Amino acid sequence: MCRLALTVALTLVLVSSARADEATDLVREADRARRPADSFVWKISITSQEAKKAPSVDGFEVFVKGGGRVFVKFVAPPRNVGRSLLALGRDLWIYLPDAGKPVRIPFSQRLVGQVANGDIARADYAGDYDATLAGEESVDGVACHVLDLKAKSKEVTYSAIKYWVSKEGRRPVKAEFYAATGTLLKTGLFDNFKDVGGHRLATRLTLTDAIRKDRRSCSTTAS
Amino acid sequence: MRRVLAAALLLALAAPAGADEAEPPAWAKALRLRRLAEEFAYRLHDPGDVSKLKTLGWLDGKYAFSESVAVRAGVRGWYDAVFEATDRYPANVERDQKTDLSLREALLIVGLGDLDVRLGRQQIVWGEAISTFVTDVVNPKDFREFVLPDFSELRIPIWALDATYRLAEGVSVEGVWTPDTRTNKLPKQGAEFQFARFPYRFRNPVVRLPDDADEFSLARSEGGVRLSVLRQGWDVALIYYDEADKSPVLFQRRVAQPPGPEVVVLDPQHPRLHIIGATLAKSFEPVVMRAEAALTLGKRYETANPLDPDGVVGRDTLDWLVGVDYTFFETVDTALQLSQKVLMGSATNLTRAGVAAQVTTSVTLRVTTGFFDNTLNPTVLFVAGVNRGDFRLSPRIDYLVSGAVTLSVGADLFEGPHRTLYGQFDRNDRVTFTTTWRF
Repeated sequence: MCRLALTVALTLVLVSSARADEATDLVREADRARRPADSFVWKISITSQEAKKAPSVDGFEVFVKGGGRVFVKFVAPPRNVGRSLLALGRDLWIYLPDAGKPVRIPFSQRLVGQVANGDIARADYAGDYDATLAGEESVDGVACHVLDLKAKSKEVTYSAIKYWVSKEGRRPVKAEFYAATGTLLKTGLFDNFKDVGGHRLATRLTLTDAIRKDRRSCSTTAS
Repeated sequence: MRRVLAAALLLALAAPAGADEAEPPAWAKALRLRRLAEEFAYRLHDPGDVSKLKTLGWLDGKYAFSESVAVRAGVRGWYDAVFEATDRYPANVERDQKTDLSLREALLIVGLGDLDVRLGRQQIVWGEAISTFVTDVVNPKDFREFVLPDFSELRIPIWALDATYRLAEGVSVEGVWTPDTRTNKLPKQGAEFQFARFPYRFRNPVVRLPDDADEFSLARSEGGVRLSVLRQGWDVALIYYDEADKSPVLFQRRVAQPPGPEVVVLDPQHPRLHIIGATLAKSFEPVVMRAEAALTLGKRYETANPLDPDGVVGRDTLDWLVGVDYTFFETVDTALQLSQKVLMGSATNLTRAGVAAQVTTSVTLRVTTGFFDNTLNPTVLFVAGVNRGDFRLSPRIDYLVSGAVTLSVGADLFEGPHRTLYGQFDRNDRVTFTTTWRF
């Protein structure tokens, strides 16, 4: 009896470990659909809209070097030109010309519209979160794995993410971003997949406020 | 001489933009008018009147000779029409503040592997704090409008050599040397933000000598080092800086002038200071913590003690602060800071406005948020001296009319006893309107 219980327990441990590995692999592969390589340069345009107001457009140039080193240059509108973000691993600074020095800031602070600093300065979900498989669902007709992502440390943008990754192609489809209190902050939809440098990449992320659904920001990338 | 240099550079930068018959050289394409601003201020207290009608322009440019060598230049100029609109300010203030043309940056930047060198006129900014200068000790400051302008405008750029060498991943050492020993610019007598006057208690006649310290001196050159370490999110720096006090200290001496009474001579001097400090910053998402401390050895203060022979006492001084940044409800950015100035000795009879007691405590709170997709951005800055209850309250609303144009409406309100840091401007409350164009 004791031997049977041990066998069952060991099997459960192995199965859960295998599922965790599978979940991590899924997140890692989905990450690859959100960036073209370990090191790259691309342009991001974020269009933010609130209710019936005219949309505002912010432009950024993002320089990524492997190992979590990211430099973000603000290129539009003119009032933001001269600002920049520097991320080294899980540390982030902003350079404000008015202050004349880099200032430490959190990844979770809002950059523009619904977009947080971490949404463009750090996008390593596999490195920042522990993933577990939570089931399967269909999103707009696309069969998806559902993953629960929990932050590995406090130095990341969100406390938790509920993440939908397509079964076919293992691409990001949808994400819900949560604060430490468990409050849903916003929902993200990944789409507009294109071939970039041999990778199939999601070139558009639309973030919608969880409470005010008429507040949304659309982040479009171009290499 | 400096104005001539700045004017020459301004012309050099502006000329290529106007030349349309030929393709401008590559270096000239990088030069352009970066920003224009129109600043209007109205003094609320009697006599209520316009106190600023300033037009400012910033021109800058950058040219890279290669990946590792570049030059940068920047010029700022202003004209304050308030001196045409009112006769309230004396001629010396008008001469000092009506126009300004200054070279804000003229820099050669060279990167050689792990060594970065910046040579030329520049701002060298140390420290982590907001709205205070605990370890921001390298550049002198322009206090002609108190501390109300942006800090990048308050700092007076200096000619310096600044070299940074990366010792290892996350560890670097920076050395600074400058023969540019210019001092803080203080408002002239009669200026809008003239500091509370030294409480003359002398029965004898008083003569104040001019503050004529040379702006360049190899013998009195200044310099220091900063060791920065970034380990597991902890951003720590240790600093040492050797400089002359940027603000003058009025030493007294009595000169016999028979048959009349002795004359008290006030001689502004800039005693040598040795500053040892440390800064620290760490993000505990979503909170950012920052701290700074600076021990100033050799600091002198004027004293009102009539028995003191030179009217000055030495008090080594420790300035420190700790602050936290936190974003409430995902939209309201707050920064709270507690700072203290601790004198190593009694503060009795000391006359400086920023020194209320042996331990002078102040609290700073800045709250910023954005509405309508951050096109309407209210900010409130509140700085209070805890010892004597003086404070500054500066609310402001920035409205982003377009990507290039910002309208700002704000106020600077001061309250407190007359001889305190903020209370001395109790009668200088003002409202401000600013339009900024960026190109």
